[in-house]
Amino acid sequence: MKRKEIKVLVVDDEVTFADTLAQRLKMRDLDVGTAYDGEQALSRVKKEEPDVMVLDLKMPGMHGMEVLREIRKAYPDIQVIILTGHGTDKDEEEAKRLGGFDYLKKPADIDHLEHKIRKAFKEKVERAMTAIAFAEEGEFETARDIMKEEEKK
Amino acid sequence: MGNSDREDLRFLQLNFIGRILAGFTHEINNYIAIIKESVGLMGDMIKAGKSGKNESRQYLEIIASIEEQIERSLDLFRYLNRFAHKMDMPRVSFNVNESMEELLALMNRFANQRKIRLETDFQKDLPSIQSDPAMLQFLVFCFVREKLDRLDKNSRITVKTARRDNSVTIAMIPQGNRVEAETERLYSPEIHEHVIRLLGGEILEREDQGIQITLPVNMPDVSSGDGG
Repeated sequence: MKRKEIKVLVVDDEVTFADTLAQRLKMRDLDVGTAYDGEQALSRVKKEEPDVMVLDLKMPGMHGMEVLREIRKAYPDIQVIILTGHGTDKDEEEAKRLGGFDYLKKPADIDHLEHKIRKAFKEKVERAMTAIAFAEEGEFETARDIMKEEEKK
Repeated sequence: MGNSDREDLRFLQLNFIGRILAGFTHEINNYIAIIKESVGLMGDMIKAGKSGKNESRQYLEIIASIEEQIERSLDLFRYLNRFAHKMDMPRVSFNVNESMEELLALMNRFANQRKIRLETDFQKDLPSIQSDPAMLQFLVFCFVREKLDRLDKNSRITVKTARRDNSVTIAMIPQGNRVEAETERLYSPEIHEHVIRLLGGEILEREDQGIQITLPVNMPDVSSGDGG
């Protein structure tokens, strides 16, 4: 059996939507988990550290933008793709300013979403490789340092 | 009512309609997204050649889920359609319970977002009233929105109707912890008083028991001409 190397976390308060999307992504050889609100998402991230998070914005309790902020602070390696039904242009700008990898409108085409997830993962790996290369040259201590440097730019 | 108050009322009514429409489109978009993913999943399963007995059960479950989303969408469409037609009827005989049920269904998303439950406690066999249903919904919307903003999550708001002599009362009773919230323009006591006067009713507000509106079964003629 082919190893599922990309870990994805789908976060959406619509349980049926999250579960169905997760199932479709699993059929595309991705390792997918689900969380149904912001707090649950953060607790799952702590345990599982996914590579890519597919995140809804308007959720009960913790808003997706708050989740994104927390993720960027505590887990800058995780790539976040916003997948929202009713985001505004302002939301899109804000998500990108906070370091979201991409911003998609719901319902999205599954092949397009899969492509974005793989692209986000590839970028994550490349960043980590660059960080390792720099660390070997002694310029940066860890991958996290280089990401912090990039965020300052 | 001065020009500025009239403009405020118009602004608030447009704001009310805008929010109801935003809530409606958000919900419908969610249902369509679920339907799209469900249909997509069946397509994926067919492409993967999944046609065993276990899969048959899964197909049926997916179809049931699609039917559920369609039912939810149709319910919401019916509520919105009735809501929209109320705007054409400034004075009509209507059932307050039905009118409240429709409003709360359209407001449910706002409550869900704040993890607050909207509940009803309707008196059965309430007499129909002669009044302005759109204006009444606008008023109740303003009050419920205010309570939603000022309650902590896991609270609830009960909308209760009852008959009292020759009038009908609608009470909005919050239960839960209060939180500090910025007061929006939506909560203008002057405008609310004006609206309730147009409806020939009365507002009774009590800190611990919420707000109660009393409406006469027959709305009196108020020919101020600024009802909006």
